[in-house]
Amino acid sequence: MNHLAGVLARIPLFQLQRRTGWPRLLPLNVTLSPSPRCNSRCLTCNIWMKREDELTLEEWDKVLRSLGRAPYWFTISGGEPLMYPHVVELARLAYEHCRPGVINIPSNAILPSIPDRVERIARACPESQLIVNLSLDGVGEKHDRIRGIPGNFAKFEERLAQLLALRRKLPNLTVGIHSVISTFSVGHLGELIAYADRSGADQFITEIAEPRVELDTVGLPITPSREQYAAAIDELIAYVERRRFRGMARLTEALRIEYYRLVKRILDEEDQVIDCYAGWASAHIYADGTVWPCCVRADDLGNLREHGYDFKRIWQGEKLREVRRSIAARECHCPLANAAYTNMLHDLPTMVRATAHLARPGAPAAVPAPSDEGPGPCHSNG
Amino acid sequence: MPFEWLNRFHREQQKPPSYAAKALAAYALGMKAHGSILGVSVLRGPDCCEAARALPADQVYDPAAAPRLPLEGCPRGRRCTCVYRPVMSYQRPPDR
Repeated sequence: MNHLAGVLARIPLFQLQRRTGWPRLLPLNVTLSPSPRCNSRCLTCNIWMKREDELTLEEWDKVLRSLGRAPYWFTISGGEPLMYPHVVELARLAYEHCRPGVINIPSNAILPSIPDRVERIARACPESQLIVNLSLDGVGEKHDRIRGIPGNFAKFEERLAQLLALRRKLPNLTVGIHSVISTFSVGHLGELIAYADRSGADQFITEIAEPRVELDTVGLPITPSREQYAAAIDELIAYVERRRFRGMARLTEALRIEYYRLVKRILDEEDQVIDCYAGWASAHIYADGTVWPCCVRADDLGNLREHGYDFKRIWQGEKLREVRRSIAARECHCPLANAAYTNMLHDLPTMVRATAHLARPGAPAAVPAPSDEGPGPCHSNG
Repeated sequence: MPFEWLNRFHREQQKPPSYAAKALAAYALGMKAHGSILGVSVLRGPDCCEAARALPADQVYDPAAAPRLPLEGCPRGRRCTCVYRPVMSYQRPPDR
């Protein structure tokens, strides 16, 4: 089984690789997007319109085998990942070949089959922490309007109750709420915080709506202004700081605060602020087998079908060299949470601040302890 | 506009041979499925070809009637810097 200690041990090696090209490591954070299909119609996402010649389960088997034990953290994304008919088998393959510490799945909470699939995944991957984050972009009709599905909020509440009941019998399941802070939701973040606080969910995480090539949202006015975001996120930071967590949960919450502050700086400075490790420690495999460093740029690094389903052949190939140069030269910047948490692990000042957070006194009344260190991966795909 | 680099980056990417067919099929599906997409526009590249300059400004196309990118005769071919942009119900057509 992949453990966090093993991840931390690899961090200096990734730092060395980013500077010198050696050693040649495989990513520790891998996002799998088996299908773009989705039954939401979010204002902040257009991926659901896409259709791809999707990898079959047999093809995924070969790809995941080629990754070996490198990935610590898988995100199964979409589209709506829990609508993908082979999602249980895909998670099982990832578990069998890679033994990840964390499998993270966002969901739009619409389908009645979601609890059954979550239970089957949790049971199939007993030594991985399974994190299911249900998307919530507003309370009541506000959610339905942003997600484009009447009745979505009622289904969210039903699914949340079902998953929280499941969590009581599945010790490796964490159930969270994930909100996208977009131009459509930034004005009611306080209401979302209050809802999440009384929901019983293990965690409440947010991500700013940023444009992505993956979602076909480049150029669309979905990102709140930095002033709007700063005001909203200060409210969220104050909320997190008011709460008191125990054990590892305190560190993960400290990392979240660091992430929210990092996003403010990225918006202000229009810069990566800390080094980005997409293309080194993070990777994304799209539905048709194309490998990307991340879903924001979605550089075509090569298709696994044309490389014998061997991830290494793409990850050590020529195309990635130029992309790495571009990322290292800070020709891009974004607040993508999935990459940002991995980046923060590689940033010493961030980790010092987060660790120092542990030294702060905690109140005895503790909040349930989420056991992940990761965010929802994809701001509008589930 | 935040993340202006991404606009530029996206325009500068080499287009796959299926670019127009896939993008327009997606938009057509989006409209058929009653998403918030109203149509598609062509965001012209900063140094686009004569044919692209001749396209009407602020035109919102039905995907079936949209010009195929890269436009015929574009000297850049798949390096054409014009791109499609979905036009959503919550926005006006993007500035050119």
